[in-house]
Amino acid sequence: MNKFIRVDMTTMKVTTDEVPDKYVGLGGRALTSNFVADEVKPTCHPLGKNNKIIFAPGLLSGTTAANSGRISVGAKSPLTGGIKESNSGGSFSQKMAKLGIKALVIEGMPEGDKFYIVKIDINGVTIEEAPTEILGGCGNYKAIEVLSAKYGEKVGIALAGPAGEYRLPAANISFKDPEGNIRSAGRGGLGAVMGSKKIKALVIDETGAGAVPIADPEKFKEAAKVFSKALLDHPVSGQGLAAYGTDVLINILNEAGGLPAKNFTTGRIDWNDNISGETMNATIQERGGDGKISHGCHQGCVMRCSQWYADKNGKYITSGFEYETIWGLGANACIKDLDAIAYIDREMDDIGIDSIETAVAVATAMEGGLLPWGDGEAVLAAVKEIAVPTPLGRLLGSGTGAVGNACGLFRVPVVKNQAIPAYDPRNIKGIGLTYATTPMGADHTSGYCIANNILSIGGFIDPLKKEGQVDISRFLQIGTASIDSTGMCLFVWFGIADNPPAIQALVDMINAQYGLSLTIQDAVVDLGKAVLKAERGFNKAAGFTNEHDRLPEFFEYEPCAPHNLVWDFTPEEIDEVFNF
Amino acid sequence: MSEQSKKTIEVRGFMHLDAAFRKKGPIPFIMELEEPITGAELANKLEIPWDEVEVIFINGLTYALDHEVHPGDRVAFLPPGCPGPYRLALGFYSKNQNNEANFKIKKKD
Repeated sequence: MNKFIRVDMTTMKVTTDEVPDKYVGLGGRALTSNFVADEVKPTCHPLGKNNKIIFAPGLLSGTTAANSGRISVGAKSPLTGGIKESNSGGSFSQKMAKLGIKALVIEGMPEGDKFYIVKIDINGVTIEEAPTEILGGCGNYKAIEVLSAKYGEKVGIALAGPAGEYRLPAANISFKDPEGNIRSAGRGGLGAVMGSKKIKALVIDETGAGAVPIADPEKFKEAAKVFSKALLDHPVSGQGLAAYGTDVLINILNEAGGLPAKNFTTGRIDWNDNISGETMNATIQERGGDGKISHGCHQGCVMRCSQWYADKNGKYITSGFEYETIWGLGANACIKDLDAIAYIDREMDDIGIDSIETAVAVATAMEGGLLPWGDGEAVLAAVKEIAVPTPLGRLLGSGTGAVGNACGLFRVPVVKNQAIPAYDPRNIKGIGLTYATTPMGADHTSGYCIANNILSIGGFIDPLKKEGQVDISRFLQIGTASIDSTGMCLFVWFGIADNPPAIQALVDMINAQYGLSLTIQDAVVDLGKAVLKAERGFNKAAGFTNEHDRLPEFFEYEPCAPHNLVWDFTPEEIDEVFNF
Repeated sequence: MSEQSKKTIEVRGFMHLDAAFRKKGPIPFIMELEEPITGAELANKLEIPWDEVEVIFINGLTYALDHEVHPGDRVAFLPPGCPGPYRLALGFYSKNQNNEANFKIKKKD
């Protein structure tokens, strides 16, 4: 990958350069976050001309390495005001890598109201006016059909949906998956940045491109085999996720008392059976038709944690039906019907809005009296208003913090204005430290990777106690920042964390591809630390201080059933997470 | 807690054990229990192989199979397969380090 492409939307000029030396060894999140830290004015308005948005495949994307097809997108976030990296499956990353593109940067801002398509292929990059039929509230499913018909069924597409066009702070970037359905770089409002630059879609066609060059093909093949086998042999990555998806966590978190419900007022519900992964699995199997219990979000995915969820007649409703979305609508907003949740999930994909932010915003709106608790039909209608957009639609699309402010609430579950996801920090204390301190704003995927050093600490972890949690959060965030840089799905770590030869195989693949001799310390620990420091440096320059690394105050004085605990980390203890 | 409820326990199974428990009747499965028994003994009574259990939940907290279950408890059996960060965060790893299913790879047949 030797091309570094800049699209200047002010001048409508495209520049293709060699990759700057400082970015040669970087990919994914390491590249997007270092680039944003280097080139984006920290105090700029996220929707103004000085913000830049960067798309980057991971180091291993485009190769035969299992699960290496994630794409990272980076910019200053209109939701948090800080740095943001959000990543997604789909086919875009692999196509970029095959075309030799290390990064695609969109900068500047055009005058006027026209929206554009940026088309990338073997001949270069062109900017065209977007077809009017996919503008002004057109859903993403239809937009993908129109663009695929125009540019080719196999092209990759990154879309700003209606929410992105309207520059709403919770707008995501939607990526076409191999079957023409939707995957999302969900968090932090990057779709709004794309919309602010009047980019409706990026379309990529790798026809004519060769394979990604590998410095040592035999060594790569050998390591890739070890890595893939490790994923398939593991009970989590090889069996559990494929059968039940991430929604397997509903019953587990509910049993642990860490499933936030009714806008974070309790940690356990009695309707968990309605929305559990086990119920989803049984329902998909019973209904047949288009339904599939297991499905990969990108070519080369062997874990296949996604699924196709079908209606009572067997007709496809949605895919990538994730635990956090089902939690947000099912437990936190009390919608007790999995079909109703599936239709809302589809609508959020179609509009291009973050399903976590929006689900938490919905529950906050329920507490504020804007929507009735548990009413799936009312929520579906309200979410559809985002595509119009009505004032209620604009409010929901502006995220949980905006809804909480509009309703005059104190129980507003956000950190750095990003909604807290599906794990209650009072009864699962370690995750609260990650919510509080990650430069991304509350984000469970910021602390995901486990390594042997963490397992040695993990022997002392009790979810209800503070001991060991600071170290765990720190190491998890470091590991995650590095894995986000490889193009690997985070879930690979489930399968390799307890398998040292598989971790070595991951590093060996990077070494074999690029002719390097990195160690695990280089590739996982040092890289992760450097990424986090770059991100935190940007946030500091944007005005963030340690005081922003705090959970909402209500967690300190509202006990959470069934364990009836409060959040009790001191500011000094929280600040230790980033003491490295 | 009533005297009646103290003579029973609520039992759930997750992942593939959920389907197995549903064959026994409504969820949660209510089982009579007069005296404390270990999780392993309870697994035997319910015909659940030990290697299909990573941890048990008792009243919302995770334990190894040798922990005692008392009348009135809420119990759940969890097979290996819960995603890794949560196994750490929820304390599975710390509570059950001697279990083959705890962060170790179960070889496929």
